[in-house]
Amino acid sequence: MLNYMIRRLVMSIPVILGVVLVVMFTLEVVPGDPAALMLGEFATEEAVRELRTTLGLDKPLMVRYVNYLAGLVRGDLGRSVRERRPVIREVADAFPFTLKLSFWAFMVSLLVGVPSGVISAVRKYSIFDNLARLISLLGLSMPVFWIGLFLIIIFSLRYPLFPVGGHGTWKHLVLPSITLGLPSIAIISRMVRSSVLEILGEDYVRTARAKGLAERVVIYKHALRNAMLPVLTVMGLQIGQLMGGAVLTENVFGWPGMGRLMVRSIFNRDFVLLQGTVLVFALSFVLVNLIVDLSYAVVDPRVTYK
Amino acid sequence: MRPWVITLLLIAMVASVGGCARQEPAPAPPAPSPAPVPPVPAGPKTGGTLTIARPTDSISLVSNLDTTAPGMWLFTNIAEPLLRLNEDMELEPVLAERWEFITDTTVRFYLKRGVTFHDGTPFNAEAVKFNFDFAIYGTPRARWAGLVGPVDQAVVVDAHTIDISMKEPYGPTLYALAMPYWGVLSPASIAKYGNDYGRNPVGTGPFKFVEWRTNDRIVLERNDEYWGDKPYLDRVVFRVIPEESARMMALERGEVQMVLQPAPSAIASLSNDPRFVVHQELGLRIYYLGFNCSLEPVNDPVVRRAVAHAINIPEIVEHVLEGGAVPAQGFMSPGVFGFHDMDLETSLKYDPALAQSLLAQAGWTTKDSEGYLTKDGKRLTLTMLGYRGRFLKDAEIMEAVQHYLRRAGIEVKIDWLEWAAAFEIMRSAHMPQHLVVSGWLTVNADADYSLFGLFHSQETPPKGWNRFQYANSDFDRLIEAGRATLVLSERLRLYRQAQEVLVKDVPMIPLSNTLETVITINKIKGFVLHPVEYNLILKGVWID
Amino acid sequence: MRLSSKTRGLGASESVHRTGIQQLVQRFARNQLAVVGFILVLAISLAAVFAPVLAPHDPLDQNLPLKRSLPGQHFVLGADEFGRDILSRLLFGGRSALLVGVLSFAVAASIGLVLGMVSGVAAGIVDDVIMRLNDIVLAFPYLLLALLIVTALGPSVLSTTIAVGLWGAPSFVRLVRAEVIALRNREFIEAARAVGARSSAIMVRHLLPNFAGSLITFGTLFMARAILVEAALSFLGLGVQPPTPSWGLMVSSGRDFLRVAPHISTLPGIAIMLAVLGFNLLGDGLRDALDPKLRN
Repeated sequence: MLNYMIRRLVMSIPVILGVVLVVMFTLEVVPGDPAALMLGEFATEEAVRELRTTLGLDKPLMVRYVNYLAGLVRGDLGRSVRERRPVIREVADAFPFTLKLSFWAFMVSLLVGVPSGVISAVRKYSIFDNLARLISLLGLSMPVFWIGLFLIIIFSLRYPLFPVGGHGTWKHLVLPSITLGLPSIAIISRMVRSSVLEILGEDYVRTARAKGLAERVVIYKHALRNAMLPVLTVMGLQIGQLMGGAVLTENVFGWPGMGRLMVRSIFNRDFVLLQGTVLVFALSFVLVNLIVDLSYAVVDPRVTYK
Repeated sequence: MRPWVITLLLIAMVASVGGCARQEPAPAPPAPSPAPVPPVPAGPKTGGTLTIARPTDSISLVSNLDTTAPGMWLFTNIAEPLLRLNEDMELEPVLAERWEFITDTTVRFYLKRGVTFHDGTPFNAEAVKFNFDFAIYGTPRARWAGLVGPVDQAVVVDAHTIDISMKEPYGPTLYALAMPYWGVLSPASIAKYGNDYGRNPVGTGPFKFVEWRTNDRIVLERNDEYWGDKPYLDRVVFRVIPEESARMMALERGEVQMVLQPAPSAIASLSNDPRFVVHQELGLRIYYLGFNCSLEPVNDPVVRRAVAHAINIPEIVEHVLEGGAVPAQGFMSPGVFGFHDMDLETSLKYDPALAQSLLAQAGWTTKDSEGYLTKDGKRLTLTMLGYRGRFLKDAEIMEAVQHYLRRAGIEVKIDWLEWAAAFEIMRSAHMPQHLVVSGWLTVNADADYSLFGLFHSQETPPKGWNRFQYANSDFDRLIEAGRATLVLSERLRLYRQAQEVLVKDVPMIPLSNTLETVITINKIKGFVLHPVEYNLILKGVWID
Repeated sequence: MRLSSKTRGLGASESVHRTGIQQLVQRFARNQLAVVGFILVLAISLAAVFAPVLAPHDPLDQNLPLKRSLPGQHFVLGADEFGRDILSRLLFGGRSALLVGVLSFAVAASIGLVLGMVSGVAAGIVDDVIMRLNDIVLAFPYLLLALLIVTALGPSVLSTTIAVGLWGAPSFVRLVRAEVIALRNREFIEAARAVGARSSAIMVRHLLPNFAGSLITFGTLFMARAILVEAALSFLGLGVQPPTPSWGLMVSSGRDFLRVAPHISTLPGIAIMLAVLGFNLLGDGLRDALDPKLRN
C-alpha cells in the first residue's frame, strides 16, 4: 500500500506541472499586453517596454513557465494588475471564504444525502423513496445559480428569514450552503441508496439478519459502513463540483470568495490575478483528490493495487 | 414514481414564485426634495456604526487616482480642502481661516492652526504646497489636474500662509480651488506608503481610514482629534452590494442604514414608508452617450446626429431610470453657472425617419439579411464600452440604446468590463470603442469645468477628459475666451455660443440629469444631501 | 459530477447485438420516466427548431412601456425588464442552449473518438501520454477550465461551444478508450486483424458500431451538462452576449427585479431545468434499455 501511495504522489507531479502550463498558455493567447494593462492610461511605449523587461514578459514562454513555477514554490504569484497588490494576498483574503462555504455545503449534502439515501434503500419504493428520487432528479437538473435566486425569493423576500447576500453571521451562510449543497445531496443520496441496496442483498447481511440481530444494528453496523466506500469515491468528484458551483453561488450571494475574485478579475482584464486564482483553485482540487485517493486506500484494505 | 408527480411539483414551484409577485409600484413622480429636517430638540447622540450600501467598490481612496464618486465618497470624509462649496453652493472655509486676492491671479490663504493629520504630523503651508506640487506637477499628475483651471504654483509665505496662483486671470478661480479633489493628505504618509498611498489615505478629516477589504467593505472610524465639531459616529462601514434588489433588502432588514444609488423602482413605495427617509435633489450630473469622434464612422457629425434621433431618450428616462433622473435639458445641469437650455427634446428629438434619412445621406443605404445597414458590403457596426453598477441603471441604459440603434439598422456590440477597467480605458489615449455611456459631474458648478475639461481639443486623455476626441477650433476659442474674462454676463454669452456649437456637432448626446438619491432609515439624523454627489458629508450624521 | 461515473459497465455493449432494436424500444417504452424524458427532449428540440414560427414576437424587440408585465398581462408569459416577450425569448434561448449543446458534443465526441481509439489501440507510451493529458484537463474543477477558455477567446457563442467541448472531451476519451480495450481482444477483431485489415479500418468498421450505443447514451447525458454549463457561463456574462436570448442570461438580467417581477428570473430557470431533466431522463432510460443489468 505504501508503494501505491508513493506512486500516486509521484503521478500527481506531472498533473500539477501540466495544470500550470495550461493556465499560462490559455492566458497567453488573450489579446492585450499585460504590461500595457498594468500601466493603464499612462502607458507610453517606452514605459511598456521597460515593464515588460522587468516582468520578464519579453522572454520565451518556457523561461517564464520555469520562473512562474519557481515563484509558485516561494508562494509568489505576481502582482495584481488592477489592485496593485500581490496576488497571493488577494487569494489569502478570498480562499478562507470559499473553504468555509464549501465545507458547510458539503456538510449539508452529507447530513441530508446519507440519511435520505439509507431510508430510501431500506424503504424501497415507499413514498419517501419516490419523493427523494424525484427531488434528487430535479436537484440535478436545476442550475445552481437559479436555486440560489429561488431560495432568495422564498426565504429572503417572501419570508424574510435570511439575508440576501454578504457575509458576517451564520445566517449569511445558510442559503449559500444549501444552494451549493443541493446538487450534491442528490448525488450522494443516490449513491448511498444503491450501495446500501447492494449490500443488503449480500450474504453476510443476510446472515446477520438470520442470527436475529436487530434491523437497526444490521443497517448501521454492517450495511452503512460498507456502503460508505463508494460514497468516498464520489466525494472527491463532489468537491470538484462544489468548487465549480462555488463560483456561481458566490456570485449570486455576493460571497467574497475565490469565485467572485475570479469573475471580477476576468471583467477587470486582470489576468495575473486570474491566473493565480485559477491555479490555486485547481491545485487545491488536485490535492483534495490525492487525499481522497489515499484515504480510500487506507479505509479499504481489500483493494489491491498493482 | 409517476410522471404526473413531476408535473405537480413543477406547478407548485411556479405557483409559489408567482405568488411572490407584487403589483409593481406606480412610477415615482419627480419627487420634490424633502423639506430640510428641522433640528431635533433632543440633540445629537454620539456613538454607533453607520453601514452604507453601494454598488461598486472604490478604485482608490485618494482623489489623485480616483476622481469618481465611489472613491470620493470616502475621500471627502478623510481629507479636506482649504475651502469648499457647501450644500447651498456657497463658498465656505475648511482648512483655511480666510483668503484674499493679492493680485488678479494670486490668492493668499491663511491656514487654520493646530490641525494635525491622522498620523500626528502637523498640517501647515508646507503640506499644502507638497500636495499641490504632487498633484499638478507629479509623475503621474493627478487625474483631476486638468479640471482646476490654469493653476500655476503654490508659494509658502510662512508656516500658516500660502499663495496659490493661476497662470492667467481665471473667472472661477475660487470655485476651482474649492473642489473636494484638493483634499490635503499627510506628506509623511505619501512618503511612507509610496505606490500604495491610494489604499492608505491619511488626511485631517473627521474620519480615519481603518481597513479596506477589496470588493467587500471599507471601514472608517471617528477621528477623536478632529479640529472642528467632533463627529458623532464611532464607525462608518461602506459595503459593496452590486445587486440593486439586494441593496434594498439589506436596508429593509436593517443590515445597512443608508443606501446609495437605490433602486428607482422602490423609491415611490419607500418615500411613503415612515421607517425610511428618501433624500432626493436635482444633481449636477449629466448622463450621456458619448462618441469617439476619432473613429469611423462616428467621426461624421451626420452619423452622430442620426444616432441621436434614433434613440427615444424620454422613454429611457421614464422606464429605465424610473424617477431616478429627469431628461437632460442641455450639456450640463441647470444648477451649473453657464448652463443654457438647449431644448434637446426638439433639437435632438426622437425621430426614426430623420435618423434613416441622415444615415442614407452618410451612404448607409442597403440592408443585410439581419436588417442592419451596410455600405460597400460592410455592416454598420459600432462598439460600446460597457460596465455595470457604477451609475444608476448604467448597463440597462446601454442595452436600451443598443436596442434603439438596432431598430435604426445599427449593430452595437458591447464590451463588458468591471468599472475600474472601463474607467482606465476611458482615461486612455485611444479608447478603442465607438460609444460610451457615462456620467459627468460639474464638481465646482461652473461651466468652464465641463466645457473646457470635456470638450477642449487639447484636453484629450490621458492629459484631460475629452474622451470624445472632439476638436473644433471655433469651440476652443469660445471657451478659452469664457474662462479668461471676469465679466459674468460676457461669460454667459460665450458659453451659450459654445453650447450651440456642441448641439450641432453632437460629440455626445445628453441623456438625463440625475436626481441624487440617498435613502436612510429614519433613525439616521443630521444627513444633508449635497448636489455634488462626491460630498457625502458624514461628520454631522448621528444615530437616534 | 464527472460523466464517467454514470456509465460504468457500458463495456458490455454486445447486448445491442443480442437484443433486436425492437426489443430495445419496448424496454425503453416500459420505462415511464424515460418516455417523459424523450417527450421533453423532443418538445424542446422542436420548439428550438421552429422558434421563428412559434414565437409570437421578435425576441429582441423592446417595448419599454410594457416592462415587467406579469404573465398574462400583455404577453402569455409576461415581459422582461425591457418589455421583451419572455415566451419568444425562451424559445430562441432554447436555440442557443441546444446549439451549444450539440456543437460542443460534436467537439467532445470527435476528440474523444480520435484520442480514445488511438489510446486504446496503441497502448504503451502513446496511451500514457494521452491519459496524462486527460488527467490534466480533469484536474480543473467543473467550470474553471471553461472560464479560462472563454476568457482567452472572448465571450461569444463560439467560444462557449469550444469551452464546453474541451471541458467534456476527457470523459469521452476515457469512455472510448475503455470500450476499445474491452473489445480489442475479442474474436471478431482478432479475426479481422488476422485477415490483414489495417488498424484504422478496424477502428472505423468494427469498433465504432460496437460502442455507438454507449456513445449516444453518454452524449445524451453530456447534453444535459452542456446546457447547464452554457447557462452558467451566460449567467456570469461570459457566454452568450446580450441582446441574443439565452436562458442563463435571462435569469441573470431579472436579478434586480426579484421582488417586483420574479417571473423574469424564474421562468428561464424552469426552462433550463426541464431541458436538463429531459436529457437526464432520456439518457438514463437509454442506458437502462441498452443494459438491463444496470437497473436496480
